[in-house]
Amino acid sequence: MQIENNWRYQKTFIALALLLSAPMLSAQNNYVVPHTLNGQPDLQGVWANNSTTPLQRPEFFADRDTLTEDEYQRLLARAAQIEIGGGDALFGDGFLNAVITGEVESYDPSTGNYDQSWMASRNIERRTSLIVDPPNGRLPPMLPEARERMTTEARIRRENPSDSYLSRPLQERCITYGMPYMLAGYNSYYQIVQSATHVAIIQEMIHDVRLIPLVAGEHVDSNIRLWHGDSRGHFEGDTLVIETRNFSDESEFMGAGGNRLFTERFTRTANDVLRYEFTIEDDQTWERPWTAVINYTHSEDPIYEYACHEGNYALSGILSGARAEERRAAE
Amino acid sequence: MANLHYKTAQLRAALCLCLSAIALALSTPTLAADAGNFARTADGRPDFNGLWQALGNNHWDIEPHNARFGPDYKWAAIGAFPAGLGVVVGGQIPYTPVARAKQRENQANWLTADPVVKCYMPGVPRANYMPFPFQIVQSPEHIVMAYEFASANRIVYMNRPNFAAPVPSWMGHSLGRWDGDTLVIDVTEQMPDSWLDRSGNHHTEQLKVTERYTFLSRDVIEYEARLEDPGVYTRPWSMKMPLYRRLEENAQLLEFKCVEFAEELLYGHLVKGADVDQD
Repeated sequence: MQIENNWRYQKTFIALALLLSAPMLSAQNNYVVPHTLNGQPDLQGVWANNSTTPLQRPEFFADRDTLTEDEYQRLLARAAQIEIGGGDALFGDGFLNAVITGEVESYDPSTGNYDQSWMASRNIERRTSLIVDPPNGRLPPMLPEARERMTTEARIRRENPSDSYLSRPLQERCITYGMPYMLAGYNSYYQIVQSATHVAIIQEMIHDVRLIPLVAGEHVDSNIRLWHGDSRGHFEGDTLVIETRNFSDESEFMGAGGNRLFTERFTRTANDVLRYEFTIEDDQTWERPWTAVINYTHSEDPIYEYACHEGNYALSGILSGARAEERRAAE
Repeated sequence: MANLHYKTAQLRAALCLCLSAIALALSTPTLAADAGNFARTADGRPDFNGLWQALGNNHWDIEPHNARFGPDYKWAAIGAFPAGLGVVVGGQIPYTPVARAKQRENQANWLTADPVVKCYMPGVPRANYMPFPFQIVQSPEHIVMAYEFASANRIVYMNRPNFAAPVPSWMGHSLGRWDGDTLVIDVTEQMPDSWLDRSGNHHTEQLKVTERYTFLSRDVIEYEARLEDPGVYTRPWSMKMPLYRRLEENAQLLEFKCVEFAEELLYGHLVKGADVDQD
């Protein structure tokens, strides 16, 4: 079984190499998901989120969820130019936007140092948005109180960006990149390891292991609030379903806080593709739940240790730079 | 029909006797009689899946030590160092004289010098006897060790002896193999910065740790780590301690990110309005 699977994977790999294209989604018809010795669907391996598809569909596409062949070919050609050209790093939504509109939104306009060399090779799909529900591929309308909350927080950050380490975003402080971690092509690697009772999802970004007990038990006490929430999992057919709650209010995700219910569904659709679907419900933030799908691709390389906090010289640099500016202004 | 049942029962009894005999023959005489009593995974290996934690005061000082004052009198009795028998086989770590002097210097400057105070990943073996639990998730190819402290973790790659470390790291490069029912892990390529306890015991980047995990009984692992480091030790030495399974019905790993608890210490002097000398 193992040998056969390896060979199937190798054949897929050879075919991809011959096509000389970015790894595409080789979803095979009648694909039979392998199983572990414990009888679970085998989701194990190192998986990468290197998709160029934006979370929200650019309005240009309206109700269209896939690119035309012509658009797809243009995307491939432009992507090759971007990778070779070494321009600004294109995170997440930036990639498709840069191709469609020609506009590049720089992450780092002041130094220009954040260029494409920071990014992994990208997985170019025909989809126009990661969001599959609502059907327009866009986030549902935000509730007025949530919008006000976000505006206030944004104003505080804008007015006092570097007063304290507390003014800086959680990712710069090496605490968390959010749950789920959404950036593609930037340490966006996960390794899944399964035992009879647990699924471990190792996340390279800032080094985390999510431990998913495969029990239908209750969640931890509601007084326990966690950066990455409290997860419980079970299998539905070949799909691993994880429900996560008990997020802390500080574990903000796109405006949602501690109230959110986060449901994930992992399904292997080919030996080299893991379909990752998640739904976020938060009746204090959006008018309705929303669902997105990211296709993770298989990676041959191991997870590296991201010692983020241990090497966080940037935070000291940002704060001492701000203090130096204040001293200069006072002179 | 009844006869058939009887025969099956006889066969079962014979099989049981036979298996018990094999188990007896295989068990090491030095281990407790309970040593054969542990769960196995679907691939027949000892099943280390679960939540584990070391007990005792070894995280304060792995060498034999008296109770002593803590660094801040305000913490009084709860901030003092408890006494401990130590876990170093033979008592003392065989340091070179220079390395012993360095340990004493580290100890004198514990609060400012210990990387764990800053919420840096503890390294191996220290991560295993921090006063926090860790979870093992075991598959035939990989064994994940997820530590509550600092979200530190490591992936043990089983049966891949030629897999070289991609880069040096705080938690090291772990290559595992089975020696009978003992899990053996070679840990190399660790950052030289990590310590072994809160008393300044230390190593260099040459450290090679060989860990052995053996069931003493269903819920107790005998943990042994052999440390080899020609940079600071005159010979290889070992530490040994039990790791206990957390048996609470609702036991699970929680979060102790700890970056947020170290930020004021690390960056407080750079906060706007902080009362510090500007150089």
